[in-house]
Amino acid sequence: MPKRKLDPLPSAAFQILLSLAGEDLHGYGIMRQVADQTDGRMRLGPGTLYSSIQTLLDEKFIEEVDLREDPKLGHQRRRYYRLTAAGRKLARSEAERLADLLRVARAKKFLRGDYV
Amino acid sequence: MSEKIYALLLRLYPSHFHDAYGEEALQLFRDRARDEKGFFPTIRLWLDLLADLAISAPREYGYVQTALLGASAQRRLAGVPAFHVLQSESPRPVAMLFGSVLSLVVVGTFWISLGHATSHAGMGFMASGRGGSGFSRHQAPQPAPRDAATALNRADGEILKLDRAERQRVVDGVIANLKNHYVDPDVARETADALLAHEKNGDNNSVTNRAALAGLLTRQIRDASHDMHLDVVYSQSPLPEQPPEPTPESLARYRKAMDQQHCMFEPVQILPHNIGYLKLNSFPDTSVCQTTAAAAMASLNHADAIIFDLRENGGGFSNMVSLISAYLFDHPEYIYDPRESPARQSWTRSPVPGNRLADKPVYVLTSASTVSAAEQFCYNLKMLKRVTLVGETTRGSAHAGVFHRIDTHFGTGITEARAINPYSETDWEGTGVEPDVNVKAGDALETAVKLAASKLRKN
Repeated sequence: MPKRKLDPLPSAAFQILLSLAGEDLHGYGIMRQVADQTDGRMRLGPGTLYSSIQTLLDEKFIEEVDLREDPKLGHQRRRYYRLTAAGRKLARSEAERLADLLRVARAKKFLRGDYV
Repeated sequence: MSEKIYALLLRLYPSHFHDAYGEEALQLFRDRARDEKGFFPTIRLWLDLLADLAISAPREYGYVQTALLGASAQRRLAGVPAFHVLQSESPRPVAMLFGSVLSLVVVGTFWISLGHATSHAGMGFMASGRGGSGFSRHQAPQPAPRDAATALNRADGEILKLDRAERQRVVDGVIANLKNHYVDPDVARETADALLAHEKNGDNNSVTNRAALAGLLTRQIRDASHDMHLDVVYSQSPLPEQPPEPTPESLARYRKAMDQQHCMFEPVQILPHNIGYLKLNSFPDTSVCQTTAAAAMASLNHADAIIFDLRENGGGFSNMVSLISAYLFDHPEYIYDPRESPARQSWTRSPVPGNRLADKPVYVLTSASTVSAAEQFCYNLKMLKRVTLVGETTRGSAHAGVFHRIDTHFGTGITEARAINPYSETDWEGTGVEPDVNVKAGDALETAVKLAASKLRKN
C-alpha cells in the first residue's frame, strides 16, 4: 500500500490530531470531539474518519493504544487512539502555518483584529 | 433495518478497508443512531453517511489503484515481459452476490422506466381505431375517448381484444336486465331501443376495450332514460356467480365486527363552548347498532351545538341515516332514499323522547371521500335546511341501483324502486353534495367550531 499523502495536511486529519491533543479517544469519541471543536460544522463520517485514521497510523502520527470499554457507551470494547510525539509536532507546525496565513489575511485587511 | 442498509453500503468500500474498519464503522453508525434520535437528526445522519460514502469510497479505490500501478511499474523495471493480475485474491462470494443484486436492480429499474415511457408514448395510438396495431399509417387518427376510466384501462383492452360478439352479448345482457328489473317498463323499453339503435348505427364500433364499453353504454342508457342511477360496470377481477346472500354466519360476522369497532362510532367529545363532536365513520345497520347510536346521541344531549364529522364516512345503511336524523327534528321529516319507494320508514321517528337536540345548531363536516349513505344524510339535511355543511363536495355516489351480473366481467346497476325526491329531479349521483361553507377537509373542523361558537355567542 503506498503512503497516503498528508502534505498538505487535509483538514479532517488535522482536526483528528487536534481532537487527540487532550486524551486518548476511540473512533466515535474523535468524531464527537471534532464536531465539538468545529461547532458542529464538521461531522466526520465513518469512511472519512477511518480513512484518515489509517493514513495517520501509517505515518505514525497516531498510534493504537488498546482495546477497552467506554463506560459511557456500554460494554463493547473499543480501539483507542493516541497522539504520538511526531503527530503533536505535525499538528503544531500545521497550526503555525495557519497562523501565518491568518496574519497575512489580516495584513491584507481580509480580516479585522490585530492578533491571531 | 437501517443498520443492515448501512452494513450493505459499507461493502462498497474496497475489501482492505472493509476488513480493517468495517466493524468500527458500523459501531460508529450504531453510536450515532442511538444518540441522534428523531426525524431531523436521522435525516442528517443519513445525509452525512451518504456524502461521506460518495467522497471517501472513490478515494479508497484510488489508493488501491495507485498501489497496483506502483507494483506493476516496479516489475516492469526488471525488463521481463509479464502479465499482471490486478487483484491477487478472487472476489469474495458476498461481494459477488451484492454485485449481482445491484446489477439486477439497475437493469430492472431501466427496464421498468423503459416500459413506462413506452406505455405513455403508445397511449395516443392505442385509441386510434379498432384492430389498429398502433403504428399503421393507413388509419386516420380518431379522437381519443375522454372518459377517465377509459384511459386507465386502455392497455388492458389492447391485450385481449373486445370482439363484436362479446359486445353484442353485453348489450343484450343490459337490455334483458332493464326489461326484467327496471322500475318503469316503458322507460326500460325505450332505453333498450336506444341501445340497439346505437349498436346498429355502429356507434360502438370504435370501442376496443371493455372498460370503455362499460362507460359508453352507461352514458347511452342514462341519456335515454334520464336516470342517473343506471350504470354498466366492468370489473377486471371476475364477478362472483351469485351475489353473496346474507347468511346467519355473515350476519354474525358483521355483528362481531361492529361490536369490536364500536359500530364505527368514535367516542363523543365535548369541545370548548359546549359543542358536542361525534365522528361517524359509517352508518351501520340499526338492527345491530341501534343501542350504540342511541347512547352516542344521549351523550350529545346536553351540548349547545353539534358537529357530525363524516369526512371519513364510507356509507352504510339508510335506516341509520334516518335514526340519527330523527334526533334533529321535533316532528317527522321525510328522508329521501334513492333506493326505496316512499314508505312509513321514510319518515323520521321524531320527536325522540327525552331528546333536546331538535333545535340546536348542527354542522356536518364533509370531504371528497364522504360517500353513499353519508351523502344521503348530507343531502337530506341540507335540503331541509337543518344543518350547515362544512368542507368539500362529497364523492357523488348514490349507489341506488341493484347490481345484476351479465357475465364474468360485466354487470349492470338497475334502479328497482320508484324513489321520490321532493327537491329535484337529480340528486347527488355523479355530482356530489356541495357544502354550504367550502373549505378544505383538513380545515373543516376548525371552521365549524368557529361558526358554532359565533352562532352560540349571538343566541
